[in-house]
Amino acid sequence: MVHYEFPILGRAYFLGGRASTSVKRVLTQAGVDRETVQRVSVACYEAEMNVVLHARAGHVALDIYTDRVMLHVYDRGPGIADVKLAMTCGWSAASEEARALGFGAGMGLPNIQNQADDMQLTSTVGEGVRLELTFYRRGAGDE
Amino acid sequence: MSERITVAHAVQVLGLGVAAGEDVLETEVTGAQVSDLLSHVMAQGKAGQLWITIQTHPNIVAVAALHGLSAVLIAGGFAPEEETIARAEEEGIALLTSSEGAYALAGQLYELGVR
Repeated sequence: MVHYEFPILGRAYFLGGRASTSVKRVLTQAGVDRETVQRVSVACYEAEMNVVLHARAGHVALDIYTDRVMLHVYDRGPGIADVKLAMTCGWSAASEEARALGFGAGMGLPNIQNQADDMQLTSTVGEGVRLELTFYRRGAGDE
Repeated sequence: MSERITVAHAVQVLGLGVAAGEDVLETEVTGAQVSDLLSHVMAQGKAGQLWITIQTHPNIVAVAALHGLSAVLIAGGFAPEEETIARAEEEGIALLTSSEGAYALAGQLYELGVR
């Protein structure tokens, strides 16, 4: 198993995507198949932007195993009061400023769920959000 | 089957400006999409696509890099921010510009054979 961590700064719109780009790079360097790299990267970007748009700070923890990739995204921020509602496609708590930049379409969490094989989202209001994702590597048995 | 269409080919025929990525213009354009919602592109994007948008901030480069898009075309006469240009150069993403609207540009790309 190989472990990496990348920080995410809240409100830093223009740095958004840095952690995801790093995740994509290390996965590619580790020899993970393209499809899995793509799924993890897309999910990571959405999760990273959620931290940027809503939280004060957070980080990405990436664990690469021979058969799977675990991506955990934790943040310190307002949290999510109603997780089920947040998972609804089209629902968003994003600011007008964020929406003007093309974020806040309410597609982030549904996108993440579509990419991951398993998704665990837990939150404590006033503390933050814990998002734990599992991606099984394609063709892992052949490597 | 239509011939291979590169970013350079699209730049020449559509008369596009090149704001970044001069050295990656030989990348093949395998499709295209028009959207100003980044999450939509994250959900629907495919490697090789050319993305037409009016968004100009640096996050468009992150989206393009994560998907391996062939280029980002900023339509409607909007100019990319300086940080967007710097990040596109850093990530090796072609950043194109045009004074024409997204609708007209999409039509021209379709005519060119991009499907």
